[in-house]
Amino acid sequence: MMLSRRHILGIGGVLLASPLYGRAAAQGASPQIEIRMQGNADGSQVWFDPIGIRIRPGQTIRWINLDPGNAHTSTAYHPQNDAHSLRIPERAAPWNSDYLLPQESFSVTFTLEGIYDYFCLPHEHAGMVGRIVVGQPSGPPAKGVASPAQPGTEPIPEAAVRAFPSVDEIMQRGIVRRT
Amino acid sequence: MFLRFVAAAAIAAFTMPALAADQVEKAPPTGSYKKVSELVKLPDFLPGLGQLYVDPKTLPAGPFLAYDRDGRLVSTVYMLPIEDLANKDKRFDNLAAPGGKVDHVDVYYNAGHPGVEKPHAHVVLWHVSKTDEARVAAK
Ligand SMILES: [Cu+2]
Repeated sequence: MMLSRRHILGIGGVLLASPLYGRAAAQGASPQIEIRMQGNADGSQVWFDPIGIRIRPGQTIRWINLDPGNAHTSTAYHPQNDAHSLRIPERAAPWNSDYLLPQESFSVTFTLEGIYDYFCLPHEHAGMVGRIVVGQPSGPPAKGVASPAQPGTEPIPEAAVRAFPSVDEIMQRGIVRRT
Repeated sequence: MFLRFVAAAAIAAFTMPALAADQVEKAPPTGSYKKVSELVKLPDFLPGLGQLYVDPKTLPAGPFLAYDRDGRLVSTVYMLPIEDLANKDKRFDNLAAPGGKVDHVDVYYNAGHPGVEKPHAHVVLWHVSKTDEARVAAK
């Protein structure tokens, strides 16, 4: 069984894969970039792999659940998602894959430059978060993850704060895997 | 004296149905148990645990009843959120234990899953031997 759902970002976000693809194939040979949702056998550890990635505008990221014993989500930090703080560009539309069972996947195409933080709904408190840098984000850096919660939003759990790779590291290395 | 006896008998009669034990040996268990994979989005068979049933009213602690691929009860599981375990004012009292004889117990950390969306401890009362845990291993 291989179910796949594709998400189209609205305002600012955008396009389904299509022609931009060919031109934007930056990361290696694969035009579509995969982020794996993983967990160990007893469910004590869960993570996104890679946890940090830099892509070009127009590239698509596909999350796939490779954990046989759990469901995971890819959910943007955004007030529309369970009252979480805004940690994606203001003009970008939020996404939420909802629960993905093993082997299910979900894709988002990113067109707007910036820093996008996301989490897994059942595992944010266990530090299952990820960061995507699209293009060369300019302007002020993303609000520190440890800064006080924005009014009316949930504070970021400590385990998640600790897990985020830095924007600098993502810019330098392109791909950051969990250590 | 007699009246008191009648009252006691009446109470006993009244409470009888609630005390009548649910059938839990074979899946599906009777009573208020529901299949976990039908309550929340989770794989039907969890490697290492098996197929789970729970009475939704008892979430998150459970008991969860875990069955092997042939529908035989292998363990009773309690899921206790870490933040509750660290809270001096929080207790888990009188958790039901309908599964009968316990062979051994495992306690371990779980990062969370639909149904119990926060880090918690699994307390697993195995009703089968250590060797028979293989009945719920990953295929
Ligand atoms: Cu997860």
